[in-house]
Amino acid sequence: MPRESLVRRAARALSSLKLTLTCLALLMLLVVACTLLQVPLGTRVAVERTIRTFLVWAPLDGGRRLPVFPGGGLVGAVLLVNLLFAQFLRLELSRRKAGMWLAHLGVVLLFVGEFGTALFQVESQMPIEVGQTRDYSEDVRRLELAVADATAPDADVVTAVPDSLLRPGAEIAHPSLPFSIRVRRWYANSELGMRKPDSPPSEATAGIGPGLDVREAPEVASDDAENAAAALIEVRDGAESLGTFWVSNELGAPQGFARGGRTWRFSLRPRRYYLPFALTLEEFHHDIYPGTDIPKNFSSIVRLRDPSRGEDRPVKIWMNNPLRYDGKAFYQASFGQGDRVSVLQVVRNPGWRLPYLACALVALGLVLHFGAKLASSLGGAR
Amino acid sequence: MKKALAPRFAFWGALAAGLLCAAAPLAAPAPDSARAPEAFARLPVLEGGRVKPLDSFARNSLLLIRGTQTLPVDGRQVSAVEWLLDALTRPEAADTYKIFTIDDPEVLGLIGLDAGRERRFAYWQIEPRAEEVRAQAGRAEKVESARRTRFQSAVLNLAQRLDLYERIKNTLMIAGSQDPAGELAAFGEAVPDALHGAHSGGRATPRERAAMKVLAELLERYRFLAGAAAFKPLPPRAGEADDAWSSIGEAMLKPVGPGGEPHPGLASFALMARARRKSDDAGFRQALAEYAVWLESARPDDARRARDEVRFNRAQPFVSGMALYVAALLGIFAWWATRRAEARAAALGLLAAALLVHTAGLAARILLQGRPPVTNLYSSALFVGWVAALLGLVAERAHRKGFAAAGGALLGFCTLVIAQNLTTSGDTMEMMRAVLDSNFWLSTHVVCVTIGYGSTFLAGALGIAWVLRRQFVSRPDPEMTRALVSLGYGVVAFSLLFSFVGTTLGGIWADQSWGRFWGWDPKENGALLIVLWNAFILHARWAGYARERGVMVMTVFGNVVTALSWFGVNMLGIGLHSYGFMDKAFYWLAAFCALQLALMALGLLPPRFWEAPESP
Repeated sequence: MPRESLVRRAARALSSLKLTLTCLALLMLLVVACTLLQVPLGTRVAVERTIRTFLVWAPLDGGRRLPVFPGGGLVGAVLLVNLLFAQFLRLELSRRKAGMWLAHLGVVLLFVGEFGTALFQVESQMPIEVGQTRDYSEDVRRLELAVADATAPDADVVTAVPDSLLRPGAEIAHPSLPFSIRVRRWYANSELGMRKPDSPPSEATAGIGPGLDVREAPEVASDDAENAAAALIEVRDGAESLGTFWVSNELGAPQGFARGGRTWRFSLRPRRYYLPFALTLEEFHHDIYPGTDIPKNFSSIVRLRDPSRGEDRPVKIWMNNPLRYDGKAFYQASFGQGDRVSVLQVVRNPGWRLPYLACALVALGLVLHFGAKLASSLGGAR
Repeated sequence: MKKALAPRFAFWGALAAGLLCAAAPLAAPAPDSARAPEAFARLPVLEGGRVKPLDSFARNSLLLIRGTQTLPVDGRQVSAVEWLLDALTRPEAADTYKIFTIDDPEVLGLIGLDAGRERRFAYWQIEPRAEEVRAQAGRAEKVESARRTRFQSAVLNLAQRLDLYERIKNTLMIAGSQDPAGELAAFGEAVPDALHGAHSGGRATPRERAAMKVLAELLERYRFLAGAAAFKPLPPRAGEADDAWSSIGEAMLKPVGPGGEPHPGLASFALMARARRKSDDAGFRQALAEYAVWLESARPDDARRARDEVRFNRAQPFVSGMALYVAALLGIFAWWATRRAEARAAALGLLAAALLVHTAGLAARILLQGRPPVTNLYSSALFVGWVAALLGLVAERAHRKGFAAAGGALLGFCTLVIAQNLTTSGDTMEMMRAVLDSNFWLSTHVVCVTIGYGSTFLAGALGIAWVLRRQFVSRPDPEMTRALVSLGYGVVAFSLLFSFVGTTLGGIWADQSWGRFWGWDPKENGALLIVLWNAFILHARWAGYARERGVMVMTVFGNVVTALSWFGVNMLGIGLHSYGFMDKAFYWLAAFCALQLALMALGLLPPRFWEAPESP
């Protein structure tokens, strides 16, 4: 008897409306916090710290942190469990309650969709100049250390190391590389300048590093600012040092060295996602309202070439009209360089259809439920 | 029989009287409608990306600069278009009109104006320090708008208004030019000689050289005009692109086309300007009439639309609506005081009239703009009030207690007042920026969300009615209370439906345009908060944790949530949806929220708590 009653009690607690109300209130507080924190932190970081996390952490002195509040992930998960329990334990399965069933099913899908987005959505950008062809997109928020074997004249063989591995003291080795890379320093943001006579001696021994003055800077979080990450890497063959380089996403010039008849190049660059097809920007239009500089529309005409599927066709991508292809969506996001460059936002989200279904279900459910209530209350009034 | 008829008469009588009052500004002959400024007001021009009558441009500009639609000059009210005419053609007179409203003491200090309680200044008073204002504004412009100090916002705002005024002065002619028609003639005379001289290979006659000099000077002036013009008055001629309107300067600089002759509007506007400068009313009217005839034949559609818009501007349906909502509210009070059926019928008649006028205004805007009703903050205020008033009137039919109607009338009035205050930020029919240029989503997502705002406010108004009744009405009336509570519940359910559908439709729009359904953007979060709060109220009621008092007090908090979502998030100055910073509105918003919280506290206190307990 105690065992069953314990299970029952747990089930009852999980299905209770008190829990629902608590979670709704917590969620409101989180949403308010997320909104207010966007002013100092920018949208992305504010969302990461309040919503897309299981606990909200407060930083303490000395780099430690303390959980102060349940995060959006936790509240959402509890609310989801609560909803499922309440649905199956409490709500009768009847025609009278059909609207409630539909509406709550829709809410479940919305939650699942948001969790799926947090887990699986990959966002990247594809800037293309008119006439240029691209078969990859980049994520400027994440970097990678690209080590290219540039020996062959027509193609490089690139080994990419994600920035999450670039931590001081890390030793990076890969079968495709005849040497290892030791990370000596990693700055998430830095100030780069040319060395002045009074600068401290540079730690780099090769590439352009010896002429640079690299200082760590506080990381910036706002949505339009970009960090200048920098890594000091030492290339080693066993115990022998082949050179120490500064690499940064701010440095445009390629650096490298030659050894054993092969040429190697390093760069720290936005992480690339290669596509099995290519887009060529044929035209970019930036329409304005006559006599003003108010933008009316942005549109890109691209040629989509996918040899594996025999596709070779022009596509128009413009505001509110993305190209959906191969599980990814390409949106007209931005532009630059005097309307010569169009920036496409590339989003891969396998669950993008879920919210559409969820909205339809909730709307239908609410209309059914409240409609029935309204009808009965009007009927009762007569 | 007679008894049943009286209320009916009262209803229709009040309705008709209300509509007649609202239609009065349309039907009444305009003060001397043949007068030149009224005809000038109807001319279409291109400004801000759309073709509009000069009347709208004049009103919007004066609202931007001064915050009003008319201007007192020498004890007489001058209309916006008369002011515009003076600024265009007689800047030396317009420079003395006190049109620049400056509230910020530090800006006043910067200009060196210490006028005691005077807050409005003429251009000539500011001009000596205009360079300093511009320099300070240039500095303020580099600061992110959300981080500007009060002084920086104020000085930037003043610089923008000065700039607009100066551009207006340099639209038809260079400000202070004595004879624009003469200049035009001189230009026409100089062209052949100058051209001949220019092609003579350095052997130009003295006469040709003089013509070249005149032409060069005039070209310089027209180039300046082309860059400075505040609007483009010259419509495209046959064979030109439909949006190829041009300013006076642009038309002068354009090489003479295949047709060979200059734009007919050039001479007309120059003649109008000269006549106006010389106070030659007959000459002005003649030039205007000739231009109007040409316009009617060349651009009949633009001319007609401009006339329609002038009619709409003059009718001011939202001002009449405001008055009618107040009248309806007073009528309801009279009904509550007298308990007479006629008073109720008359009040509802007035409310119906207010709603009809409000509807007509919205419909006119939809027709003029070719857009769904809500396109910006201003129109969202118009629509919120309309939804609340409509719902209030419908709900009044279910529960004939007057509260729903009173709430609707009050909200209709308040939102129209808010809208009226938002007109000072420029053209209310502005063009939609790229992403927003989608009538489908504007008419679904935006309309649904705005309906959610309106109904949540109506629920809040019912909550306030409940709180006030509980504290200030001594005679208990359980039937009335029950009606209020069930109405409140119904309206909350309605709001949940619309705010949820509206919010998720917004997510779908975002998915279509930016690739994410939900981005936790401030405006999205605001809408989500309304959904969550309405869901909270309903679940609390279903669970039995909140009954009559709990639900009604919570609906009052819905006012806070909605106000913050509607206006508050715009004050954060970030996000894809923000409309711009409004610091004045901030204090009003804070006061509103504080009032709601006070009302909630009042609702939570025991009824009539201030009275001494009855002695046994």
